Amino acid sequence: MTNLSMLKPGDRALISNIGTKGALRRRLMDMGVLVGEEIRVEKVAPLGDPIDIKIKSYHLSLRKTEAEEIGVEVVQ
Amino acid sequence: MKSVVQLKDEVVAPADGYRDATVDSGARRVITVAVAGNPNAGKSTLINAIAGSRLHVGNWPGVTVEKKEASFEHQGTRIRLVDLPGTYSLSPYTQEEIIARDYLVQERPDLILNVVDSTNLERNLYLTVQILELGIPVVMALNMSDEAQEKGYRLDVKGIEEMLGVVAVPTAATRKSGLDQLLEAVVATAAAPKLRRPKKLNYGYDIETAAELLARELALESAPLLERFPERWLVLKIMERDEHVLRQVNFGDEALLERALHHLRSEHGDDVESLMAEARYGLASGLTREVLRKPELKKTELTEKIDRVVLNRFLGIPIFLGAMWLMFKLTFDLSKPFGDWINDMTGGPFKHWASILLGAIGAPDWTVSLATEGVISGVGFVLVFVPVIFLMMFFITFLEGSGYMARAAFVMDRAMHAIGLHGKSFIPMLLGFGCNVPGIYATRTLENPRDKALTALLIPLMSCGARLPVYVVFTGAFFPRSSGTVIWSLYVMGIALAIVMGLIFKKTLFRGEAPMFIMELPPYRMPSLHSLCVHTWEKGKHFLIKAGTYIFAVSVLVWFLLNLPWGVENRKDSYLGQAGQVMAPALAPLGFGTWQAASSLITGVIAKEIVVGTMGEIYAPKKEEAKQEFKPFGEEVKEVAVSFGKACRESVSNVVSTFGITSLDTQEKEERSALKGMVLKTFTPLTAYAFMAFVLLYMPCMVVAFAMRQEFNGWKWFGVAFAYQTVLAWGMACLIYQGGTLLGLGG
Ligand SMILES: Nc1nc2c(ncn2[C@@H]2O[C@H](COP(=O)(O)OP(=O)(O)OP(=O)(O)O)[C@@H](O)[C@H]2O)c(=O)[nH]1
Ligand SMILES: [Mg+2]
Repeated sequence: MTNLSMLKPGDRALISNIGTKGALRRRLMDMGVLVGEEIRVEKVAPLGDPIDIKIKSYHLSLRKTEAEEIGVEVVQ
Repeated sequence: MKSVVQLKDEVVAPADGYRDATVDSGARRVITVAVAGNPNAGKSTLINAIAGSRLHVGNWPGVTVEKKEASFEHQGTRIRLVDLPGTYSLSPYTQEEIIARDYLVQERPDLILNVVDSTNLERNLYLTVQILELGIPVVMALNMSDEAQEKGYRLDVKGIEEMLGVVAVPTAATRKSGLDQLLEAVVATAAAPKLRRPKKLNYGYDIETAAELLARELALESAPLLERFPERWLVLKIMERDEHVLRQVNFGDEALLERALHHLRSEHGDDVESLMAEARYGLASGLTREVLRKPELKKTELTEKIDRVVLNRFLGIPIFLGAMWLMFKLTFDLSKPFGDWINDMTGGPFKHWASILLGAIGAPDWTVSLATEGVISGVGFVLVFVPVIFLMMFFITFLEGSGYMARAAFVMDRAMHAIGLHGKSFIPMLLGFGCNVPGIYATRTLENPRDKALTALLIPLMSCGARLPVYVVFTGAFFPRSSGTVIWSLYVMGIALAIVMGLIFKKTLFRGEAPMFIMELPPYRMPSLHSLCVHTWEKGKHFLIKAGTYIFAVSVLVWFLLNLPWGVENRKDSYLGQAGQVMAPALAPLGFGTWQAASSLITGVIAKEIVVGTMGEIYAPKKEEAKQEFKPFGEEVKEVAVSFGKACRESVSNVVSTFGITSLDTQEKEERSALKGMVLKTFTPLTAYAFMAFVLLYMPCMVVAFAMRQEFNGWKWFGVAFAYQTVLAWGMACLIYQGGTLLGLGG
C-alpha cells in the first residue's frame, strides 16, 4: 500500500488510513490529517526530510517516519 | 511557578466621555477574558493592540508558551486579558495545551475570546468547537481579515454567529481594525452571560446518546464532580478517556464508562478518541463550507513563490547559512563604531566629569576611585555592548516576525534529527545566540520532555550576546583585520561542539526514540517597523536591566574585592587577585594561567559580559596615568557629539565595506582602547583564542542556571550542563593551546 512518504512533490492523494496510535495519531488528527482528506505534497526539505504538504489549505511539515504511518491513494 | 506579567496599565478613553471619580472607588467591575486560539492566529498581537501591552509576537507557531496577562481600564471596567499559549486542540498531549485548558477549566474566566485565523478557518474552528464544550460565553475575533480579503475569501459572519451562538467580529490586529467592535462585544457579552451561552453542538446520534447516558449516571453517582467542572466537557473528556482528566477528577468507575460506551463501541469500534476528533472536524468542515466562499481562480501566492527559492533542494541550505552569516556580519559591522564611541566616552569625559564633581563636593579619594574605576568603568564596559545586542535582537526579531524561523526549522530538521533533536529545537537555539535565557524558556515549544532537556543542555553552547564583549576586545586587539571571521569561527565552534555533545547525549542520557515533527509553516509576513522596534526593545531591555542593576552591583563588588584588604597596593594581593592566584595553575595548560585571567573568569560566572568588566578594572591604568590632559568642559561636550556623528558615518561605511569596499578608518581607532593595549601585553594571539574558546564554553551564567531550574523544577539539568561544560571548556582550550603550540602558532 502507498503511504505519504513515497509521494513526490506535486503528487495529490487522498488519505486512506492512519496507522498509528496514541499521541501521534491524535496530533495528526488535531492538525486535520483525517481519513478522506485530500493532500498535496509541496516540497521535500533540502536534506531529504521532512516534507511539506498542503492540507486543508495550509502548509504542514512532517517527517518521513510520520508520513509512513499515513496511508494514501494517489489521485491523478 | 506561573508567571503573570502585569503590563502597562493603559486607560482607554471611553468613547462617550463617561468617566468620573466615583467609578474608580469601591465596587469596580473586573472582567477576566481568556484569549485562546490556534498558534500564530495573532492572539498576542491582538492583545497588544487592545491593551497597549508588549507581549512577545512572532510569525511562527508557539511564540507564547506561558500564560501572560495584560489589563486595562475600559469605561470604568477593568478588563484582564489572559494570553494563553496557542493550541490546535484541547487534548492533553502538549504542555501548552494543558496550560491553556487547565486555565479555561479551572479558573473559569468570565469569557473566552477565541482568536481565529480567517485564512485558515476550518482548522481554527476545530478548536472553537472544543472551546464551546466548556459552556463559557465566547466572543470570536475573525482575525487576519486583511489577509483573507486579499485572498478573495468571503465570510458570512452572521452565519457563524447563528450557528455557534457566539458574537463574531472581523479584526486585523496588525492594522488595529475591528478592535472597537470587538471590545464592545466583549463588554456586552460579559454583562449578560446567561443570555450568551454558546450553542451546544450536535456530535451525531451515537455520541450524543452515549454522552447523555454518561451524564445521567454521573449525576447520580458523582454529582460533586459536575459542580467542579463544566458538565459537557467533563462527559466528553471521560468518554475520550483523557488520562489527565481521569486523574484529575479521580474517576475510576470503569463499569459505568463501559455501560455508557457500549453501544458506541459496538457500532464504531474502540477508538472513541478518534471518533470524537472526526465528529468535531466534521462540524468544523460543515460550518466552513456554509460560511466561507473562496474565489474560483487561485493565484500563486507570494509565500509559495518565496518558498520555491528558500526551500529549494539546492539553494535551501546555502541560503540559510548565508542569511545567518549576513546577520552576524551586519550586527558587528554596524554596531562596532557605536560601541567604540560609548567606550571612549565613558572612559574619557564621563570619568573626568565624575571626578571633578566628587572633588568639588569634597569627597574622599577612594570614593572618586570607586565612582570612576568601579561604577563608571563597570557600567561603561557593559554599555559598550548595547549596540551589538540591540542589533542582534533586531535581526532575530525580524527572522521571527517574517516567518523564516519556521523555514529554518524545516530546512534544519534533518540535521538536528541526526543529533537527536527536533527541527524546532533550532529556534530556541537560535534565540540562544541573542541570550541563552530566552532560549531556555523557548524550549517550552518542544512537546517532548526529552527534546526539551536535550535542547536546554545544548543551548549554553550557542554563543550569546554576553560573550561577545570578550570576543570583541580580544579580536580587536589580536585579529583587528579579521575580527569578523574569528568571531564567526567561535560561533561555529559552539555549534560544532553542540553537535558532538548532542550525539554523545543521544547515545547516553537520552536513549530512546526521537519524537515527532509536525509543524505548521506560516505564510511570510512583513513585520512592521513599529513592531520590530517594540520587540527588539523588549528583548534588549533584559540586557539593559541586567546592566543597570546587578551587573552594576557586581562591578562595585568587584571593585571592593580588588581594593580589599584595605589599602592593598598591588591588585594581585587583593581578595579577587588571591582567588585568581589559586585558580591560575589549573589554567596554565590552557596558556592563560595568569591571576588576571583567572579572576576575570571567576566573576564571569555571574554573567559572562562581566569578564571584560573585571579585566577592565584589573588592567585599569593607575590613577596617575588616568589623569591625562583634560580639555575644558565645553570642548569635551562638543567632542562627545562630534565623535557620535563620526560613529554614525563609520557604521554606514562599514556596511558598505561588507559588500566589498574597505574602509581603513576603523583600525586606527582600536589602538586607543586602554584595555586592548593591556590585553596585548599579557596574551598572545593563540592564548587569546584559547581564552575566548574557554569563555564560550565554560559554565552558563547565573541567570541561565535559574532559568533551567525553573523550567525543569530542579537543579538536575543545570548540574549536568555545569559538569559537561567545565570539562569541555578546559579540554578545548587545552587542545587549542597545546595543539597550536605544537604547530608553531604560539609566541
Ligand atoms: N496580516 C495580519 N497579520 C497578523 C494579524 N494579527 C497577527 N498577525 C501576525 O501574525 C503573526 C502571529 O502573531 P502572534 O500574535 O505572535 O500570534 P499568537 O496567536 O500569539 O501565536 P502563539 O503565541 O504562537 O500562539 C505575527 O507575525 C503577527 O504580526 C492580522 O490581523 N493580520
Ligand atoms: Mg502569542
